[in-house]
Amino acid sequence: MNPRRIYALVLRHYFLSIHQLERFFDAFLYPALILLLWGFLSSYIGNIKSSGLIGFLLGGLILWVIFERVNTDLGLSFMYDVWERNIINVLSSPLTFVEFIAGLVLVGLSKIVFSFILMAVMAAVFYNFQVTTLGFSLVLFAINLIIFAWSFGIFNLALIFRFGHSIGPITWILPFLLQPFSAVFYPISILPSFWQNIAHLLPIAYVFEGMRTLLTLGIFDYNQFLISLALNIVYLGLAIGFFYITLNSVKKSGRLVKLI
Amino acid sequence: MARKADIVLEVKNLVKKFDDFVAVDDISFTLGEGQVLGLLGPNGAGKSTTIFCILGLIEKNSGEVKIFGKDFASNRSEILTSVNYASNESQLPWNLTVFENLLVFAHLYTINDVKKRIMELLDVFEISNLRKNMVRDLSSGQRARLSLVKAFLNRPKLLLLDEPMASMDPDVVDKGITLIKNLQKEEKMSILYTSHNMWEIEEIANDIIFINHGKIVAKGSPIDLTKKVLKGGAREPNLREVFIHISRQL
Repeated sequence: MNPRRIYALVLRHYFLSIHQLERFFDAFLYPALILLLWGFLSSYIGNIKSSGLIGFLLGGLILWVIFERVNTDLGLSFMYDVWERNIINVLSSPLTFVEFIAGLVLVGLSKIVFSFILMAVMAAVFYNFQVTTLGFSLVLFAINLIIFAWSFGIFNLALIFRFGHSIGPITWILPFLLQPFSAVFYPISILPSFWQNIAHLLPIAYVFEGMRTLLTLGIFDYNQFLISLALNIVYLGLAIGFFYITLNSVKKSGRLVKLI
Repeated sequence: MARKADIVLEVKNLVKKFDDFVAVDDISFTLGEGQVLGLLGPNGAGKSTTIFCILGLIEKNSGEVKIFGKDFASNRSEILTSVNYASNESQLPWNLTVFENLLVFAHLYTINDVKKRIMELLDVFEISNLRKNMVRDLSSGQRARLSLVKAFLNRPKLLLLDEPMASMDPDVVDKGITLIKNLQKEEKMSILYTSHNMWEIEEIANDIIFINHGKIVAKGSPIDLTKKVLKGGAREPNLREVFIHISRQL
């Protein structure tokens, strides 16, 4: 693994971000707007129910955006190379696939830091919700969210390799298919029993449950954290395996060079 | 034929099938140091597939590809630091400036003296005045030259050019060919060059392989091939006639 080639990818995305305003908006405007929307909704519901609900909803939202952004960025950064017909130039360079994924992951991480800071400040200023009250637990929650976002993002990339760039928009859609089962805004217990089984297979569902436990009881549930981490390790392994199988398959079928 | 020690690229019994369709059918050739080999053939003959097999972007069914005497599959990253590729099908990102794009690729190829090398090549290809322009604002001829700058960035020992100047006007092609020839001699690189422009190939290639339906059907220098295929006492290469003759015969 050559750090300079990973740096090259980060540099490229930095240049793209400063030239393409939508990339800037992508990191800031979307999280800001969605936080405003849910903030007002939470305030309204909070007034008529309980004040703790605001924390559940806004905390859930902020953690969800971490997952959704990291995942989407991985696919989107790759799709830009496909749309701009640059992908063969990149794939014919000495860059390895591990370096390629590492570069995309770093770009996604740097963007999510900005998005998170913005949302944390806005939630504090407008809705008096301090996400930092989650303390170091926030870092542990983020670890599980980000690992699952990578697994899911790598799975998305494999699908794009397999089915071509027409499937690119799936990058935006897939995370939302998981949302109802992820118990982002409500506890797993309110889901029908079959859906609860699905929720228990999702590492991020344990993160959101853990956040609510922390906000309600002030306790970080290490058991949930470890279950989530164990599931993440399995999914990351499966995603990498699926990616390599798909990559070999598209090299055989010639689909890889048809991406442009 | 290049001496074993001088062989930069060796393709041996390469076969690539897509289901029942045989795209590359047991072709073998070598490319020596400083040699420019023209790969000719009609559309769908298997030229690009051969290049993608060499680059490892399409997995071959059988055969061997050795670059610098090493097996490509097990030395991919190391080999590719001394190889480069350009094609009219690939472009550099439109929303970056010329210089930014080249800077990114210079780091991907881990070259030294990045800025000096970029400026040197921009000067050679006469586009240094465009270094701050966005790629989307360049003409197609300027973009073709930029792709060539990217291809020469790492002083490749092996350069794969797949119709790099397709659809360019004759003036752009003429300038491009002259620049490639000069740099190729100066930096002693080996080039595998495909084009449908026969004049381009006559100008640049020492030797030619003509492939059709994935098979090598003729090879030799432009003048030898002309004499052999057209069966006359030709004094000048006439690859256009050779191309038409072979394509219609098969």
